[in-house]
Amino acid sequence: MTNARTLHLKVARADGIAPTLRRVHLVAADGARLPPAAPGAHITLTLPAPAGGRPLHNSYTLVSADPEAGYEVIVRLSERSRGGSRHVHESLAPGDGIEATAPHNLFALHSQAKKHLLIGGGIGVTPMIAFVTHLREQGASFELHQIAAPAEVGVFEALLAPRAGERIHIHAGRDAFGLTALLAAQPLGTHVYACGPAGLMDGVEAAAAALGWPETHVHREDFGAAGGEPFVLRLAASGIEIAVAGDQTMLEAIEAAGVDTPSLCRGGACGVCMLPVSEGTPEHRDHYLSEAERGAGCLVMPCVSRSRSATLVLDI
Amino acid sequence: MSTGTASNRPRYAPLAPDPRARAHLLVTDHQDIAEAAFAPGIGLADFPERWDVVAHALVLPEPFGGPGVQHFRSASHLLALLRHRLAAETMGLRLYVTGSEPFVWDAARVAIEAGMGREEMRLFATGKPVRRVSCVHCRTINPGVTTTLVTCAGCGVVLTVRDHFSRVHNAWMGVQCDAEVPGEVPAIEDLSA
Repeated sequence: MTNARTLHLKVARADGIAPTLRRVHLVAADGARLPPAAPGAHITLTLPAPAGGRPLHNSYTLVSADPEAGYEVIVRLSERSRGGSRHVHESLAPGDGIEATAPHNLFALHSQAKKHLLIGGGIGVTPMIAFVTHLREQGASFELHQIAAPAEVGVFEALLAPRAGERIHIHAGRDAFGLTALLAAQPLGTHVYACGPAGLMDGVEAAAAALGWPETHVHREDFGAAGGEPFVLRLAASGIEIAVAGDQTMLEAIEAAGVDTPSLCRGGACGVCMLPVSEGTPEHRDHYLSEAERGAGCLVMPCVSRSRSATLVLDI
Repeated sequence: MSTGTASNRPRYAPLAPDPRARAHLLVTDHQDIAEAAFAPGIGLADFPERWDVVAHALVLPEPFGGPGVQHFRSASHLLALLRHRLAAETMGLRLYVTGSEPFVWDAARVAIEAGMGREEMRLFATGKPVRRVSCVHCRTINPGVTTTLVTCAGCGVVLTVRDHFSRVHNAWMGVQCDAEVPGEVPAIEDLSA
């Protein structure tokens, strides 16, 4: 899908920073200035699918974004890669062209915050790097707690080394980290930002809520938990039946069937891809629909949500 | 004119403790809080930590004293120690403020400066509507205004009190009453009715 918002980029540099992490530096293919992006923004790359299937659209947070110097992303090789992260790791080389959306920000820093508490888990470090760079420049109050698998602590230390300081803490595993005590000690006016595995982010939300934090001070960024049981999707208006594989999202299956449907963040946050449900029970995984809307069961976010029933009928 | 349709008069909801909060602090510039300040079924007992103003209080208040009632000798005294208290507070506190409108918004300002958002405070103004009026011509604040026309203590013009409240300045807007047609003075109305 190409539109006016599509950016034509090329790979300026790509280097492995760990066996499963590759940093890719992208610039405009024609050398022009790129749109600016605030910390927390992401772009969606169009990546070729293996065996000539429909292209994949994977969203990556910008680790740094400069209209002149270009965009930087860090891509983790997914064990269950559908081909996107594998392509970035194994095929993408300097000089290659690549299409991307303009940056969108669904994980922005709160301008009124007195303090920013950053909690990253694993590859969830990417927005944190952009945040730390920005907050340092602003002289703002912040604290970063990055959780890494014990074997990867060194990788994260090296990654954060240029920004190191007493306000950056790297913990070997989630158990090495006292979340409740940390949240309980935060002064009024603190905003917390979590990015990482769903379990970590749910834990931050639950612990903050239990301590009386208002929801408006708790921010999270999802990568979109793909995967689950396969099911069948029926598009009532067009009469198309689509099999959604276990390692495929509903949105990808709809796109693979040749049906164009709007989408933006592909992470269950923005609400752009929302579709009407006429039969079946959705399994909601987004952060957009309210409890009441979920209960009504009439809407679904196909980018992350799945189906509890064997068949889900959409009114499109 | 003062009660035109373009009013942004603050609306207040009666107070009730937020069940999601970790701690609650109720502050007032009165000694006795009207029952109307509380939601149905809610009363003083639902706010174990309370700060009030008692002019001749003889015991020094303890801003970190925890549950109990602390008496302050003036609203200014209370607000100064509220600033001190909030600077040392952690997330999860809710602030409840009731009293005169100027006091309620002074306390809200202290809370905002301490980093609290609107969802962390509950405000309820009580008593006779007495307005603090800011003269748009000379910036003088005229306290205790109860009528739609008032002579500015700063520049001496007769102001009409518009139904426009600034949450930042904690004051109602006062504009020269005959600014459009010199000499045409509107009828005076009672704001406290």
